[in-house]
Amino acid sequence: MSRHPAPDELLLDYAAGALPDGPALAVALHVALDPRSQRTVDRLNAVGGALIEREPVADFGAIDDAVLEKALARLEEVPVEPRPAAPGRRHQAFEWAPAPLVPHLRPGMDWRRVMGKFDEIRLDLPGDFHRVSLLRLESGRGLPEHRHAGYEYTVVLQGGYTDETGNYGVGDFAVGPGDHRHEPIADPGEPCIALIVVENPIVLTGPWGRWLNPLVSRGWI
Amino acid sequence: MLSAEEAADLIEAIAIRQDRAAFARLFQYFAPRVKAFIMRSGADPEAAQEVAQEALIMVWRKAASFDRTKASASTWLYTIARNKRIDHLRRNNRPAIDTDDWLTVFAPEDDDADKSVLAGQTYTRLKALLGGLSADQLVVIEKAFFEDKTHTAIAEELKLPLGTVKSRIRLALARLREALEKDEP
Repeated sequence: MSRHPAPDELLLDYAAGALPDGPALAVALHVALDPRSQRTVDRLNAVGGALIEREPVADFGAIDDAVLEKALARLEEVPVEPRPAAPGRRHQAFEWAPAPLVPHLRPGMDWRRVMGKFDEIRLDLPGDFHRVSLLRLESGRGLPEHRHAGYEYTVVLQGGYTDETGNYGVGDFAVGPGDHRHEPIADPGEPCIALIVVENPIVLTGPWGRWLNPLVSRGWI
Repeated sequence: MLSAEEAADLIEAIAIRQDRAAFARLFQYFAPRVKAFIMRSGADPEAAQEVAQEALIMVWRKAASFDRTKASASTWLYTIARNKRIDHLRRNNRPAIDTDDWLTVFAPEDDDADKSVLAGQTYTRLKALLGGLSADQLVVIEKAFFEDKTHTAIAEELKLPLGTVKSRIRLALARLREALEKDEP
């Protein structure tokens, strides 16, 4: 069980289907790794079920019998699919990837070194305005000190890291508020791998920041 | 009326023997409710009916994935209807990830870790619990589910500080947790 669960309001946004794809993926990965958050989402889904049951049907919900006939006719072409294999099967090349991440991992995807400091895989979520990346940091290495213009969500998928807000292990979820400067350092042991979802471009605050920021904002690094 | 038990039996009848009569009963019970639910997000009746129909067809396709020990029929249907609503909203914008994949999200990877069975009696309790939330809490929860708004958007709409909305959500969830945990082993 993780020590840093996603906040309740974000689990509600997720269960209600209100999150854009990037943040929804971050919450889905956290939920897959954290039984307690899974339980909360199960409960929220049950609230959704209860709200549907409670809907009055007499007035605007009414559906013509012809619509049922049409649906029944369509079933001829729709097979009942066999029960899927147990979820949670691991991706071959990325064995640390929880099930909800697997559909986003394309063949040939590989780590790319950034600023000689860490490795990144950018995920492409069409139609979403977030920057969604997998980051890999060797033990003892840090990300350049930076702050965020918007919010940032982080889910740890392997290893762990520490910053001034605490220590984060597999399944932990961190919300980075805007205007918050931080410098995460990977913990000893295997490299730290995390999914990071950023609303707005990151602003580097270190000495090289003013040269590198234009590249970041253009999505080049 | 359709009890949680009956609804689960009908879904299993589809999984086991492609039972069309079972589908028709589920459709008659759930399609109007899903339609009414979808209309709350501002969809017109035709679009809402389309989403309801697509959701029920998905119930037929995925019937074998339904596990009555993990969720009640209405909970399962809610997750399908929600994903269909997302698909529908996307179609009006741009295509994105196939929300079919999301169905796997609702099956915990570790089966032993969690027996949060929100089926049967627990579910009946939940309906009573919704009535037990304060008006302030209920309005936030309903806005999230009915209008698929994030808590940030809800705060803006209700002209409330973000912290107020967060604490209402946390209180409502604490209440649900407390009441439901009594029922669980």
